[in-house]
Amino acid sequence: MYPFTYHRPASLDDAKARLSASEDGRPLAGGMSLLPTMRFRLTSCADLVDLNGIEALAGIERGDGHVRIGAMTRHAAVVESPEVGEAIPALAALAGSIGDVQVRNRGTIGGSICFADPAADYPAGLLGLGATVNTDRRAIAADDFFTGLYETALEDGEIVVSVDFPVPARAGWAKFGNQASRFAVVAVMVSLSGGSVRLAVTGARSHVFRVPEMEQALAGDFSAEAMDGIAVSSEGLNEDLHADKDYRAHLIGVMAKRAVRDALAQ
Amino acid sequence: MTERGHIPESRQREKPRADLQWIGKSMKRVEDPRLLVGKGIYADDINEPEMAHAAVLRSPHAHARIVSIDVSKAQELPGVLCAMTGADAAKVCDPLPTWASPPVLQAVIADDRVRHVGEAVAAVAAVDRYIAEDACDLIEVEYEPLPPVVDPEEALTSTGDAVLHPERGDTNIGLERKLTFGPVEEDFAAADLVIERRIRWPRSGGQPLETVGAVASFDDGAGRFTIQCNTSMYNYCGWMIASTLRVAPHKLNIVPTLAGGSFGSKMFVHKVPVLAAVLARAVGRPVKFMEDRIDNTTSCDNHASDRVYYAKLALKRDGTLLSLKTRIIDDYGAYLQFGVGQHGNALSQCVGPYRINSVEVDLAAVLTNKCQQGAYRGFGSEVANFVIERLVDAAADELGIDRIALRRQNFIQPDQFPYLIPTGNMYDSGNYQAVLDETLKLADLEGWRAKQAEARKEGRYIGIGVATCQERSVFSATEFWMWNLEPGVEWTSSPDGVSVKIDPTGKAFVTLHSPFWGNSPETVAAQVLAEQLTIDPADIEITYSDTDQGLNSTGPGGSRFTVMVTGAIVGAAGKIREKLLRIAAHLMEADVRDLTLQDGAVHVKGVLDMKMSIAELADKAHYYRLSMPEDLDLTSGLDATYVYDHPVTTLPDPDERHMGIFYPIMGHSCHIPVVEVDVETGQVHFLHYAAVHDCGTMVNPMTLEGHIRGGTVNGIGTALFEEFSYDEAGQLTTALWTDYLIPTIKESPADIVVGHVETPSPFTEYGVKGGGEGGRMGGPPAIAAAIEDALKPLGVTIDSLPLPPSKLRALIRDAQARAA
Repeated sequence: MYPFTYHRPASLDDAKARLSASEDGRPLAGGMSLLPTMRFRLTSCADLVDLNGIEALAGIERGDGHVRIGAMTRHAAVVESPEVGEAIPALAALAGSIGDVQVRNRGTIGGSICFADPAADYPAGLLGLGATVNTDRRAIAADDFFTGLYETALEDGEIVVSVDFPVPARAGWAKFGNQASRFAVVAVMVSLSGGSVRLAVTGARSHVFRVPEMEQALAGDFSAEAMDGIAVSSEGLNEDLHADKDYRAHLIGVMAKRAVRDALAQ
Repeated sequence: MTERGHIPESRQREKPRADLQWIGKSMKRVEDPRLLVGKGIYADDINEPEMAHAAVLRSPHAHARIVSIDVSKAQELPGVLCAMTGADAAKVCDPLPTWASPPVLQAVIADDRVRHVGEAVAAVAAVDRYIAEDACDLIEVEYEPLPPVVDPEEALTSTGDAVLHPERGDTNIGLERKLTFGPVEEDFAAADLVIERRIRWPRSGGQPLETVGAVASFDDGAGRFTIQCNTSMYNYCGWMIASTLRVAPHKLNIVPTLAGGSFGSKMFVHKVPVLAAVLARAVGRPVKFMEDRIDNTTSCDNHASDRVYYAKLALKRDGTLLSLKTRIIDDYGAYLQFGVGQHGNALSQCVGPYRINSVEVDLAAVLTNKCQQGAYRGFGSEVANFVIERLVDAAADELGIDRIALRRQNFIQPDQFPYLIPTGNMYDSGNYQAVLDETLKLADLEGWRAKQAEARKEGRYIGIGVATCQERSVFSATEFWMWNLEPGVEWTSSPDGVSVKIDPTGKAFVTLHSPFWGNSPETVAAQVLAEQLTIDPADIEITYSDTDQGLNSTGPGGSRFTVMVTGAIVGAAGKIREKLLRIAAHLMEADVRDLTLQDGAVHVKGVLDMKMSIAELADKAHYYRLSMPEDLDLTSGLDATYVYDHPVTTLPDPDERHMGIFYPIMGHSCHIPVVEVDVETGQVHFLHYAAVHDCGTMVNPMTLEGHIRGGTVNGIGTALFEEFSYDEAGQLTTALWTDYLIPTIKESPADIVVGHVETPSPFTEYGVKGGGEGGRMGGPPAIAAAIEDALKPLGVTIDSLPLPPSKLRALIRDAQARAA
């Protein structure tokens, strides 16, 4: 780790002011990804602006047709939330599948989507459920938010405030996790809302993506069998020690079916 | 004397008994309270005044010549005290200790050549670790890459630039030998059937949370080093470190710290303490070097067996096992610190619990560009278990005989013990049928067979595996040198000592001369001494000696510590008991033959209230010399030391017809896991797991069960996940725990149902056997068998480990493709 100046603002305005005053400032949410990369000297910054003192950024509200989750809401709070559990149980399942107890008690939804790890779970949740990201300056559709490997549509200094999840008719979550990190090797969020289907895959490419062939098949027949014969090409898929691209392509088919079965079971 | 050697008389003093007070009780661990409240002192907790910190620059290349190295920029960094190259180190110290003969020389810092990724090329001491690490980044090294040798079978034919140690000849074969025990060719000629398999056992290693660390200081007034370190064997061969440091052995004191886990990996730590010591002498201040995780995984010298077996099992059509032939290529990495001791170990139980008449082992230990092998739970015998169990399963399938029935048919029978196997090692005692029967009961085999059949109808794949494995304990030194080509270290002693003192108030103090490794030496010592002196374990305090105070003690490893500490305590307590009785006889004016020690007091047999407590006698022994008999040999105080030798060992036959008795205290286990394989993902889930172990007389069933469960999870790691994997360039791709996958609670069975059979050893005190490694010795073959059983409808054969989901899914996919 390289030296940095630590800031702990109590309000969003104060955080913005400190970030804009810094040549090289970074906001800190749960720190579950940022701090290890800083520790390994893969990342450094002059000013670390800790958002954990800003109470207004955390919390879960049930709105009209959606659930709003504050950016600094911990994964554990999403798991335990009666609002999420009732409206979108698949999202609670997603949050419950992240990391381990310590990570879930510390990590936040805002931190997860801003870091945009290719194997993070929440990006699939946002894209598969058609969520909207609210920042301090605008609203960004999930389809536009994730733009690449560790890249998002956020501008310099832009801070995520909350995420709105529309309540679907049905949604399902299936994940094949890395044994050590519990990051997704492949995970799928599928949702059905008024005849339209969204199916998003994380862990398999540089960033989360939808599978239109599967969505079309499911729109006609929302069943696992509807996807029989739809194979996802292994071209361009991630490869690592624990899963080559063929195995990942195969797992996308398996997890997509399991996500649909999960949705149908709810 | 037979073809297989002779069996010495037992030297057992304490017979197993039913009326024991403390031995056999699940007493809570004596070690735990101070550890649980954070008061244990580990290596990294030590801070000396003016202490400097070391960091090591490591080779990014698997194999390269060091053309030049420039530490000048590092030395200029403020806070840096010393930047040392291999050439600098070679001026002040000799190569590291080795048991191989002829040796394979290893320098503490590589000088002209690096032989694996992570090998030290320079070391820095600085006022803090941050500066030391920053300084490493400033060291400039020019390498000339050499061909990396990664594949063990290709290493057999390496020549030229691909040879790691050209001074040993133009080959990477560190040692190659064929040993034959009994009429192998005749037995193969008489066979109806020969099972042949190529079996691949993966490189893994012990993964203690705490890495290796040392704090060294040099007193240049006395010319003397002190090294605090989480090592072992310091009171057995710690003087070798002094030799490396070029000081006389009495000019080095090694002080043990608690070890935060070892699993064998800290058996004889040498590189880290030597590195800390040479830096401490160079900078004139104490130096701490604590490995970080990458230091540890790339260069800790504790990677374990990495073997290819070409194995043949000869048998009769009726299922009678006859003979075993194995060609083994073992990838030892870049050096041979313990020689091929792991294959000495494997010879101890290579025929498993079965009557097999003859054995041939043809070994090639190859040197490759990887971290060298060391010790890890099993020390090579776990691989032999895997091989024999896979062969027996294959034989049963081939003959159409039930896998359990074939085992029963070939078991050594209870009335055949003590039993000499073809290699000469003795199995002291056993009852394999009883262990199998008990496991079958706990496993509910019939119930699971029914569930398996039901599940298959639903397209689910449940499998049941059975492994019946040997669990050798209490190594003798022979295993380290029996394979050597030339005479080298040929020790025949492997004792352990204790010192026991009763203070004037009657409290007991025990000094152990070997370290705490995460196991329960204090609990064992307390239970056995309490038993011997009829006192309360709460009245016993345990400490550890350094090498200045130490008695000859080999230390934990090879599941020997419980047996050896028990033997040493029995020896020391016997001396104390004798003195207590002698004093009591004098003071109570009784004949010593009429006295008995019970409930913490010496009683006159049959006379009510004629007794003196140990406290009263201790007071007299310490302060009332004039009340004592005048015998010159009766000195004041109440203390004893005892060095307990290996209970039963013999020399190898000079003609090598057998290797003598070297690992005779033979436990046994049966593991029956029930797994479900998700054929779509390749994931394995445990539905049930039963493990029964026979470790002779149990000292503490609770701690033994901890060993069994922990060892079994180790075995799950080996079977399913763990691998030190090197790519074609010799890069270690699993250097971090994000990639080197250790099973967690999620990958483990909800419960491991543990049972016991107690067949006491006729050779050890109270009949105790070791039980520290059995879980990892029984788990892998049982799990492989269960997976194979689950996938039987698909025709998947398991002959290599580990089986992570991706690899198992590939086997399933290939089998499905073949079937389609």
